[in-house]
Amino acid sequence: MGEPTGRTGPPQLLHYRPWKGVFRPPFVSVWPIARTGLALLLRRRMFWGLYALGLMVFLLFFFGLYLLAWFETQLGQARVMIGLVPVRPGDLVDLLAFHLHLDGSAETYSNYIYYQGYVVMIVLALAGSVLVGNDFRYGALPFYLSKPLSRRHYLLGKGLAVAAFINLTTTLPALVLFVEYAFVYSWDSFIRNGYLILGILGYGAVLTAVLTPILLATAVCVVRTVPLIMAWTTLFLLCRLLATALVVGLHFDPIWRLMDLWNDAWLVGGACLRIEPDAVEGVQPAWGAAAVVLGGVSLACLSYLALRLRAVEIVR
Amino acid sequence: MDAAPPLIELDRLSRWYGSQPALRDVTVRLPPGRIGLLGPNGAGKSTLLKILLGLLPPSSGSGRILGLDLGRSGVELRRAVGYMPEADALVPGLRGAEYVALAGELYGMPPREARRRAHEVLTYLELEDARYRRLEEYSTGMKQRLKLAQALVHDPPVLLLDEPTSGLDPSGRDAMLRLLLTLGREHGKSVLLSTHLLGDVERVCETVLIVHQGRVLLYGGVDEVRARRQDRYRLQIQGDEETFHDSLRLEGVRILHHNGRGELRVAVPAGWQTGSFFALAQRSGVLLRGLLPDDEDLEELFHRTLASNGAAPDTEKDRRYG
Repeated sequence: MGEPTGRTGPPQLLHYRPWKGVFRPPFVSVWPIARTGLALLLRRRMFWGLYALGLMVFLLFFFGLYLLAWFETQLGQARVMIGLVPVRPGDLVDLLAFHLHLDGSAETYSNYIYYQGYVVMIVLALAGSVLVGNDFRYGALPFYLSKPLSRRHYLLGKGLAVAAFINLTTTLPALVLFVEYAFVYSWDSFIRNGYLILGILGYGAVLTAVLTPILLATAVCVVRTVPLIMAWTTLFLLCRLLATALVVGLHFDPIWRLMDLWNDAWLVGGACLRIEPDAVEGVQPAWGAAAVVLGGVSLACLSYLALRLRAVEIVR
Repeated sequence: MDAAPPLIELDRLSRWYGSQPALRDVTVRLPPGRIGLLGPNGAGKSTLLKILLGLLPPSSGSGRILGLDLGRSGVELRRAVGYMPEADALVPGLRGAEYVALAGELYGMPPREARRRAHEVLTYLELEDARYRRLEEYSTGMKQRLKLAQALVHDPPVLLLDEPTSGLDPSGRDAMLRLLLTLGREHGKSVLLSTHLLGDVERVCETVLIVHQGRVLLYGGVDEVRARRQDRYRLQIQGDEETFHDSLRLEGVRILHHNGRGELRVAVPAGWQTGSFFALAQRSGVLLRGLLPDDEDLEELFHRTLASNGAAPDTEKDRRYG
């Protein structure tokens, strides 16, 4: 056995010292995976424009609620002149309250999450390749899976990152709006409308349970960003247009709306918030049917993910 | 073959993919140290590595690595072993220190310890200046060292290295091999080196394990297996070559190579006495100016082992490197 020789020399052994410590159980590895995923999302400067857009939606609702309360208490039925136009603040309040439902009702939070959903969808479409697609594209999976954790832990970690992002942009701000309403109007809102907290959490859970597996599955399937955006657009935009065309344009049975997954999530979320079916715009299928469709799609995505991950060769 | 508790102990271990055997009745007992795993493509090296990492259970037979049961201790196995994959396996967007710290956390280290240890290991591997650089900006040599760092971060007793010098230039390769030697000699790490580069095994490893078609063709100490073949000599003569060649052939000596300028390599029959060369030279009227035993290098040994088992290297890579 010869000795290696060379003028460049080896790396000098500077500070190697043994490590003695207690290892933590494998499920703890889920958090570093999720944290890394979130960190990668937050590092993309391009996404910050979208985060700002999401913040604007939140601020619209936040200050909308505040302003309405202020108008109601401060101006009453008085008229104010804006230029030459006399405006009754009460009418403005009614208008905003009617269209945006800035009245602390279930619709307020449902609408907030619905509008915020557009931003979430765009970010997720762009983030899929960063979170998961790149692991497949650049062969990072052996890095994760050769560690003392299973494929399930890897999937949970990535799912947790997506779930954290969804809930940080929808559920958490919606809860802040709920608390704000109670502060601005009356403290007993916490008790009277306490069910809304569960409704908001339920809506967030529905979005998480639906969007997370769909995003992971599409990211694993198409890997790159542009095809992922196309797949995402097809799923959530073209299907929506098609469903609307069929039901509204061609008067097909409302059950065809079930192909619109975002609408399905909205229906089930509305049920969580106990929104009366009459209040749901247009002719809609039952929320139960929407829940079944969403559950089926999620299961199909999870099955696909399990198959794809099982096929990954850690040692090639 | 060694009194020390074995590092790897496989007992009639087999693995089948459907009806296709990948490993058949593998029985070896490898001591701690630096072990080279050799074999042509499809020999069963990857399957063996998967089993050693606890990623794949054996179909039959049993095995232990560091006393851990290969069939049942997947998590413990992967914690005891640092695996350096052949592919890049980098997470784009991360920085070097983050990548190694993440590996530490995935091995189960507490976050703070993982971060501290990541810096230490990167410094040790002379990547301290590149710690905060994005992984996409690393050169091939740096990537290889980074992959070693992530395998070393939790200070495992065993390193499983899959082609660690792949893609490195000669100086990078030399540095990596020296590093592996030092890890083995000075820090007591056992190293299982899976590679096509026989020179790497020869320079780093004490033990070699050659597998082919799922079977172990040969295993033992590198020097020991090379020494098994003491039947070759290099001769240098002056005088009538043809007469000397004929005399050798008559005695059953095979002439492997001659350059027409008096230098030849020969293989002698069993029981050959070295002094016989002088007697033959005298009888043929030539002057024997040089006589050296011609130990096989590992490449020759590998090819001969495969050839004696009816196998030929099956890819261009194998033809070049064995």
